[in-house]
Amino acid sequence: MIHSFSGRRPHSRGGPRRFARRGLLLTFTALTWTSLPAANTADLPALWAERVKSVVAVEYMTVTEVERQPSVSMGTVIDGNGTIILPSGAVDPRTALWELKDFKVYLPGDAASTPGEYLGQDAFTGWHFVRASEKIRGQLTPISAFAPKTPPRAPALADFVWGIGLRNKDEDFAPYILQSNLALVQSLPQRTGIAQQEVAAPGLPVFNRDGVLVGLAQASFGQSFLQISRANRGSGVILINVEESSAFILAEEMLPHFGRIPKQPSGRPLAWLGTYGLQPMDREVARFLNLSAQSAVVVSEVLEGSPAEKAGLKDRDIILQLDGRPLPQFKPDRVIVSHVEREIDRHAPGDTLALTVLRGTERIELKAVLGEQPKVMREAERKFFDRLGFTAREFVYGDGIERRVKPTEPTGIIVHHVKSSSPVAIAGLRQEDWVKEIDGVEIKTFKDAVVKLDEIERDQARPEFVLLVSRGGDTAVLRVKLR
Amino acid sequence: MAAGMSRGFNVLLDAVVRIDVREIAFEAGARRYTASLGSGVIVSNDGRVLTNAHVVSPRAVEINLTLANLERVGARLVGWDHWTDLAVLQLDMDEVKRRGWKLVQAEFGDSESLHPGQVVYAVGTPHGLTRTVTRGIVSNPSRYFEDNRGVNGYETGTFNTWLQTDAAINPGNSGGPLVTEDGQVVGITSRGYLGANNLGFAIPAAIARSVLERLGDDGRIVRSYIGIVPGALQDLENFYALEVRTGMLITSVDSGSPAAKAGLRGGDIVLSINGAKVDGRFPEQLPPIQNMIATQLVGATLTFSVKRGGEIRDFSVETEKLESRVGEEWAFEKWGLSVRKVSRAYARENQLDDTTGVVVIGVQPGFPAEVAGISRGDIIAKINQQTIDSLDVIKAAHAAYEAKPAPTLFETQRNRRVSLYIVKP
Repeated sequence: MIHSFSGRRPHSRGGPRRFARRGLLLTFTALTWTSLPAANTADLPALWAERVKSVVAVEYMTVTEVERQPSVSMGTVIDGNGTIILPSGAVDPRTALWELKDFKVYLPGDAASTPGEYLGQDAFTGWHFVRASEKIRGQLTPISAFAPKTPPRAPALADFVWGIGLRNKDEDFAPYILQSNLALVQSLPQRTGIAQQEVAAPGLPVFNRDGVLVGLAQASFGQSFLQISRANRGSGVILINVEESSAFILAEEMLPHFGRIPKQPSGRPLAWLGTYGLQPMDREVARFLNLSAQSAVVVSEVLEGSPAEKAGLKDRDIILQLDGRPLPQFKPDRVIVSHVEREIDRHAPGDTLALTVLRGTERIELKAVLGEQPKVMREAERKFFDRLGFTAREFVYGDGIERRVKPTEPTGIIVHHVKSSSPVAIAGLRQEDWVKEIDGVEIKTFKDAVVKLDEIERDQARPEFVLLVSRGGDTAVLRVKLR
Repeated sequence: MAAGMSRGFNVLLDAVVRIDVREIAFEAGARRYTASLGSGVIVSNDGRVLTNAHVVSPRAVEINLTLANLERVGARLVGWDHWTDLAVLQLDMDEVKRRGWKLVQAEFGDSESLHPGQVVYAVGTPHGLTRTVTRGIVSNPSRYFEDNRGVNGYETGTFNTWLQTDAAINPGNSGGPLVTEDGQVVGITSRGYLGANNLGFAIPAAIARSVLERLGDDGRIVRSYIGIVPGALQDLENFYALEVRTGMLITSVDSGSPAAKAGLRGGDIVLSINGAKVDGRFPEQLPPIQNMIATQLVGATLTFSVKRGGEIRDFSVETEKLESRVGEEWAFEKWGLSVRKVSRAYARENQLDDTTGVVVIGVQPGFPAEVAGISRGDIIAKINQQTIDSLDVIKAAHAAYEAKPAPTLFETQRNRRVSLYIVKP
């Protein structure tokens, strides 16, 4: 996600400009006078009323050990089965799948909800998929109904675009219209339109004057402002509008992927190459390395036991080509990293990915057979120990990487959550601590830990127990008083 | 003695000096000079002066002492030990002789027999007020604290306890003596709590004397390192099924250290070292144990008898030379880049594979390094594909750039992420 986009937008108001725009509009009308009925293009409220049926609000609960946290996201209906896509930011990636509960789908302007089913996240598009209940499917219109019938012309600068926003829950998600003009089209790496003002709520569709789908609004970019007050003489702040966005991926980046509905909520199978810290290369460096008109990424580390390692990729190799195609240049340079990650996500485990890398001065061709991604944090087993006051989480591959130990040999457990003022909290245990021993006994697996902790939790007579934890490379012995 | 002070006290006053220092600083991506001042005390007739390591460091380029007769004389640094925050200077004796001055030497007292409530005086140059005497008592004769960055970023306090006093200690007192009523030096005033009232700390004279004795020809003290972080056992004896006042807890073991290689780990209890019983029940007892390990010969093998769970086992640990986390620093002015060599301790602390590279400690805005995208905290591992295994490598690269500025490829690492930059004129 690009947060710091601060493209200056042309001013849309002001006297002289208004005349200029009228001039443009007149020309446009004159040219299209005969080809389109004027009433159609002007009847935005009618187009809007039809297209509001393609959008919904989705609410769900994140149920953790100690709280129920509601979240709301806006979604677009993609097919006749009531399938809804939500933007990637709709669900916190650290949240375990079983903590996601009570999905509800709201029609715009309607206080009543119907249950929805969470289908999972697609790695390539980042979309979360939710299915609306049959009851309301009849009231929904898939967005594909408004897709261009013939290949559309590329969106042009200053094209009129509009979209839908939804008010908050206390206003029954009342729909409203947003309008703007296209200011810029960028590859980030998806073809992304940037409008002059907010044009839709993130996750909702964007249309042209004729009501034809042109894109899907993304999370909005941050905008730089100066904050000036009596005490503060102009410090920079970045503001992000979370309710409305001016950025949208173009329809061509959206329509081909409606079939990517996850087969299971985990989103698996997930293709995995096994590199850590892909870093972009700026143009100066590319020129220095005689790479003309292309980009590259530096592989900081090749992960142990990964397909990348098996293919012979080495730390600090520079990836030049994927599947025979030189990596394209993007602005800003760092977009190339998302591009490479998407190219991997596009594949399935078992697929072969051809890599051309630069190692020193040598060009090397490698073939990696992509594997299945090891268990990720949100899939890790967890258990909450109420009396002790913390949630133990299974040690997964990513924990090994983060802690610089062999990720293929998991050991101990990770502290996922600490209840405040609980015995372990008082003893100094913190979230993300790595528990290696309980009462002097080395913990090899999550199961071992659960057995041991269950025993301690049940034993009402026990005055204390001791944890050996590792934090940032240092270990500490924590004594937990239970009485 | 007119005002009731002892003769010894008056002699001591004549042995206290003011120290003005000009130092080089590398942090800003350029060489900068800073001035500071502190205090010191003459401890021998041949012109040795004791002060704090944080008053005069190896970065000093000019040291001037103001004697009791208010005359000024030059000095040079001959000993430096940040672990105990002590530095030793040598007065310019030619100058002293030429001008016919007679030096007065302070006498050491017994810092081990101090008792809480005993009256002590601090003499020094607080805020530049030369020859200021303040009075207080010993608040605690054996205070323990370690400060990992206490001496201008260097580690201190690992091997000694401190004298705590309520005699007013202010910036500039540092390095001056803490003395008894008869003028005997029992400590070297070193630190105070900022924002607190009258919580001052001094290095005990016993430590100062031993440092004076042990300084080598290169002005440093060689210590042994094994890489354990000890912890107090208080309240944990029951859990470990130990007699009270037996053993020391190993809280943590530095990765890759001799202790780690020997198989020691966090949670182990050290019962004895080379057969000598260890008692680390209280935090105050830890520095002497650390010091005992540190004073072993480098390369010596120590036998640790360790209790782990139910069993007691012996571990042989071969010591290595103790090094600071802070490596040598340098500034490359054409690039606008200040760096510090990655030391073994820094590499371990940051879980780096080895000591390759230099850490960026400063960049100058608008200069080539900053323009290329290099920032503070990056570790420069290679320049033009050449591995930086010493400062000389990067110095040579900079010299070449100075002679003939040309685009230069930097490979950096930050949080294990490798980036490439072109630094160009």
